Amino acid sequence: MPKVRARLLVASLLLLLIVNPLNAQRSAIDTYAITNARIVTVSGPVIERGTVVIRNGLIAAAGANVNAPPDARVIDGAGLTVYPGLIDSYTNLALPEPAPGPSPGGGGGGGFFLLQQLQQQQRPPSGPNSTQPAGLQPEVMIEDVIRPGGTEIESWRSVGVTTALTSPRSGIWMGQSALINLSGDTPQQMIVRSPVAMHIGFTPLRTGAYPGSLMGVFSTLRQMMLDAQRYRDAMQIYERNPRGTRRPDTDRSLAALIPVLEGRMPVVMIANSEREINRALDLASEFKLKLIIAGGQEAEKVADRLAKQDVPVLLSLNLPRRTTAAMPEADPEPMRVLRERVEAQQTAGKLAKAGVKFGFQSGSMANASDLMSNANKTIENGLQPLDALRAFTIWPAEILGVKDQLGTIEVGKIANLTVTRGDLFDRNSRIAHVFIDGRPIDIRPPATGGPVVFGQGRNTLAGSWTVVINTAQGDRTISLTLQQEGERLTGSISGPLGAGEISNGSASNTGEVRFTVSVNVEGQTKEATFTGNLANNQIRGNVAIVGSAPGTFTATRPN
Amino acid sequence: MKRLIVLLGIVGFLGITASAQTETLIRNATVLTVTQGTLQNTDVLLRNGKIAAVGRNLKASANARVIDATGKFVMPGIVDCHSHSMLDTINEGTLAVTSMVRTRDVLNTTDVDLYRELAGGVTTLNLLHGSANPIGGLNTVVKIKYGRPASEFLFPGAMPGIKFALGENVKRSSTPNLPGVPRRYPNTRMGVEETIRDAFTRARDYKRTWDEYREAVKKDKNLMPPRRDLQLEPLVEVLEGKRYVHAHCYIASEILMLINIADEFGFKIKTFQHVLEGYKVAKEIAAHGAGASIFADSWGYKIEAYDAIPYNAAILTRAGVVVSMNSDSDERARRLNIEAAKAMHWGDLTEEQALKLVTLNPAIQLGIQERVGSIEVGKDADVAIWNGHPFSVYSRVDTTFIDGDVYFDREKDLARRPELAKERATLEQAEPNKPPARGQSPQTPRRRPSGHEDDAEVEKP
Repeated sequence: MPKVRARLLVASLLLLLIVNPLNAQRSAIDTYAITNARIVTVSGPVIERGTVVIRNGLIAAAGANVNAPPDARVIDGAGLTVYPGLIDSYTNLALPEPAPGPSPGGGGGGGFFLLQQLQQQQRPPSGPNSTQPAGLQPEVMIEDVIRPGGTEIESWRSVGVTTALTSPRSGIWMGQSALINLSGDTPQQMIVRSPVAMHIGFTPLRTGAYPGSLMGVFSTLRQMMLDAQRYRDAMQIYERNPRGTRRPDTDRSLAALIPVLEGRMPVVMIANSEREINRALDLASEFKLKLIIAGGQEAEKVADRLAKQDVPVLLSLNLPRRTTAAMPEADPEPMRVLRERVEAQQTAGKLAKAGVKFGFQSGSMANASDLMSNANKTIENGLQPLDALRAFTIWPAEILGVKDQLGTIEVGKIANLTVTRGDLFDRNSRIAHVFIDGRPIDIRPPATGGPVVFGQGRNTLAGSWTVVINTAQGDRTISLTLQQEGERLTGSISGPLGAGEISNGSASNTGEVRFTVSVNVEGQTKEATFTGNLANNQIRGNVAIVGSAPGTFTATRPN
Repeated sequence: MKRLIVLLGIVGFLGITASAQTETLIRNATVLTVTQGTLQNTDVLLRNGKIAAVGRNLKASANARVIDATGKFVMPGIVDCHSHSMLDTINEGTLAVTSMVRTRDVLNTTDVDLYRELAGGVTTLNLLHGSANPIGGLNTVVKIKYGRPASEFLFPGAMPGIKFALGENVKRSSTPNLPGVPRRYPNTRMGVEETIRDAFTRARDYKRTWDEYREAVKKDKNLMPPRRDLQLEPLVEVLEGKRYVHAHCYIASEILMLINIADEFGFKIKTFQHVLEGYKVAKEIAAHGAGASIFADSWGYKIEAYDAIPYNAAILTRAGVVVSMNSDSDERARRLNIEAAKAMHWGDLTEEQALKLVTLNPAIQLGIQERVGSIEVGKDADVAIWNGHPFSVYSRVDTTFIDGDVYFDREKDLARRPELAKERATLEQAEPNKPPARGQSPQTPRRRPSGHEDDAEVEKP
C-alpha cells in the first residue's frame, strides 16, 4: 500500500509540474537577465540599451555595461522597455467577498447613491471582542483577511501593476491597510508592508445606530481620538506603577489609535470634493495627524493648502464621466457637474505643478484596462509623462513608506518590473513581461475596454434564481425567473410571498439591477421594489416593501 | 482644448465676486436705517468693510466706487435666524441627545441657495441642526460670503448656539410603527421633558466632576483628568450662559415646560423657534427674556401647527418679546422682506417694527447686534440696494454688500449669462460629458420638497 501511495504522489507531483510550469521555474531559476532593453530607472536617466539582472527576488544590477550572468535565464529585451513595477496606491485587491464594486476610494463614475447602497451591503469586517460596532473599529487589520489569487489580481497584473495598497472596503474607522505584491501563494508572501496606514471613510453607519449623519461621523471620530489620548495617558500611569493602581479596562480600538495620534502611522482619509478635502485637512490639523488624501478628484482646488501642509494625495484615475443616456426631456445637467468631469482630468497636472506629491490609484474602477487609458487622459490634460510615471512608481513608494524597496530600478530593490513593447503611455503599447519579487508572471490579455456588458455570456441575468429576503419579519426564500433583453428585465416570482410578474425591470451596464413586483404580505398585496447589484454571480441589494420596514435580499443561482 | 481651459479659468475667477475696492459711496438713496428712521436723499459710505458715514453730500476718495442710487432704497442685510442652507446634512437623528454634532463640520460653500439668498438681500444666516431630537447639534452663524472658503463664512464673535426641539418631530409622531423596529425614546411630550432634564442633570454632574478635578489637580499634579465628553460640554456651556439655546416648539404647554426646565437649571432660552402658539404665552416668554423667531402665516401642516394666528408677531412684539421672521426654507429665505411686510398688514406693526423682524431683532437673537442689523456708522458694511421699497412685491435687489464687498450684482449676473451659455455648450461637447450610446436613464432631480414647513427629517440630496 505505501508504495502505491508514493507512486501516486510522484505522479501527481509530475502532473503539477507539467500543468504549471511556472511553479517548476520558481524552484529552479531565480536569476534572470533582460538584455538589450531600454531601461527607465525613474531614479536616474533612461538607459537606452542595457541589461537588468534579477537575482533572488531583488534587482542585482542594471546598466548599459552590465552583462548577463552565466546562470541567468536571458530574456532578449530588444524593442522592449523596462519600468519599475507599477503601484496602484488604493485598491480592495486580494480581499474576500463581497465582490469588487465601487469602493469609497473611487473618484466614482458610478454615482454617490449607488456607492452608498453598495456600502450598505458591504458590512465592514469586525474584530472579535471589540468595544466598538463594526465600522468604528480601527483595530481591523486588512492583512488578516488577504487572500492570494483571483482573476482580479490577474487583470491588474496584466496592465503592469505589480504592487497595490489594499484597504478595507467600508467603515468610518475602516481599519489598517497593507501594501501587497500581486503575486505569492500565501498572504504572508504577498505582504510588502503592513500596516501601512489607518483609513477613514466619512460615510455614516446605515444601521440606524449613531452616527447616522456626516455631522455624527465627525463627532464620533473626535470623541474616539479624545478617548484614545486619555487611554494612552491612563495606561502610562498604570504601567509606571502597576502596584497600587487600578488597571484601566483594555480597549483594542483605542489602543489602535495611539500610533495615529502620535503621528507614527499616517491616516488616509477619503475625500474627493474641495469641501471634503478641506474638512479632512481641518480634522487632521485639529489632532495633528499625518494625513494622506485618497480620491482627490478636486484636489487641485486645495493644492496650495495641500502643498503647504505637506499632505500627499492618492489620486483616483477612475475619472468621472457621464453614464446616463441622452434623453431630450431630462433636465440639463448642472454646470457644476459638467465642469467637475472636465476638471477631474486636469487635476493630476495641476497637482504636479503645485508641488503636491501624489500616487495614482485605480479608484475601484471596473476594468483594469481603464487605468492606462485614463492616465493618458491626465497626460493629455497637462501632466508631464515623466510625472505620470512617477505617480505610478516612486511617489506612491515614498507616500506609503517603501521608497527603499520599491519605485525605481536600483540595485537592491525588490525586483518588481513592468516590461512593455512600446512606451508605457503609448496607446498601442503592450505589456510584454511582468516580474514580481523577481519572478516572471503569466500575463493574461487585459479585458477589452468599456464597461462590463450584461446580457452576454456569464453576465446575463437570465435564468432561475433563489432569493433570500431578509426583513424585520425574518428570512423568506422565493424563486425568481429572469429573462434579459439588453437592459430590459422581465420575469416572475413564486413562493411564500405569492406569484407574480415583475415590472419596471432593468439591468444597467454598471451591474445595477432593479425591478418591482407585487407581493402578498399578511394577506395584503403590496409593491416590493428590489434594487441590487450583480457581482460574482450574486445579486445583493435592498428591497423596499410599501408600508413595511426596508429589508435586504441576496439572489443566488446554481453554479 | 486650450480655449476651454482659458474659459474655465475666467469663470472660476468670476466665481469669487468680492471686489478689490475697499470704498463704495452709495449716493442719494432712501436709507432704511432701522434704528434712526428712514432718511431721504441720503448717501452711505462703505469703507474698509464698515459703514463709515451716513448723511448728505458725503465725499469719497478718488478711487471709490460711486453708485447713483437715486430712487432706490438701502436696507441692512437681512438676518435669517433659522436656516439649513449650505448644510450637507441637517439631522443626526439616531439619538435623542446629539449635542456633540456640529453644523460647522458639514458646510457646503457652493450651495446655490446661498446665491439666491444674496439676491434676496440676505447676508447672515443662523444655520441650525434639524429638529429630529430634543437636544440637537450645534449651530453656526455665517455671513454669506459666497465664493470664499468656509472659514471666512463664520460670523466673528457670534454667540455659539445649540438647537433644541419639542413636540411632534422629536416624539416621532409621523414615523409609522414598523413591526420589529424599536421606536426611539421619547415618544411623548412627557418623555421629551425627561430627556432634557436627564441631559442637564448629567451635564451638571459632569461640570461638578471637572470643577472638583481642577481644584484637586492643584494639589496632586499626577491626577488623571476626567473623560472629556463632547455631548455634555456644550450643555455645560449652556448652564454657564456661554451658549444660546434655540428651541423649536409649537404649543403653549411645551413652551412653558421648557421655561420651567431652564429656570430649574438656571439657564435661559435665547429663542423659541416657530413657536406658533407663542401668542398664548407671550407674557411668560417675555418674562423669561426669550426671543421668538416665527413664520408670518405658515401653519396647519400638522396637528401641533393648527392653533396659529397671523397676529403672532404683533402680539409677541407688543408683549415685549424680541421677534424675528425666519425662513427655515431655502425658498422662503429669498423673500424674507415680504414675510416682514406681512406683519404690517396683520397686526399693524409700524414699518420700523416690521423691518426689525428681519434685521436688528434676529441680530439680537444671535448676539451680533453690535455688528449688523441696522445702518449705523461703525457697523459692518452688510447692506443691500433695492430698486424699490423692500416691502413691495415688485422690488428687487440690485446689489448686496457684505463687509463692503459685492456678493450679488444683478447687472453683472445678467451680463454673464451669454458667457455661461457658451461655456455650457463647450462643456457639453467635452469628452467626459458626452452621453454613452447605452446608458442609464437620467436621474430625475432630487430636491428638498418645496414648501416643507419645518426640518424634521429633511435631508438635502
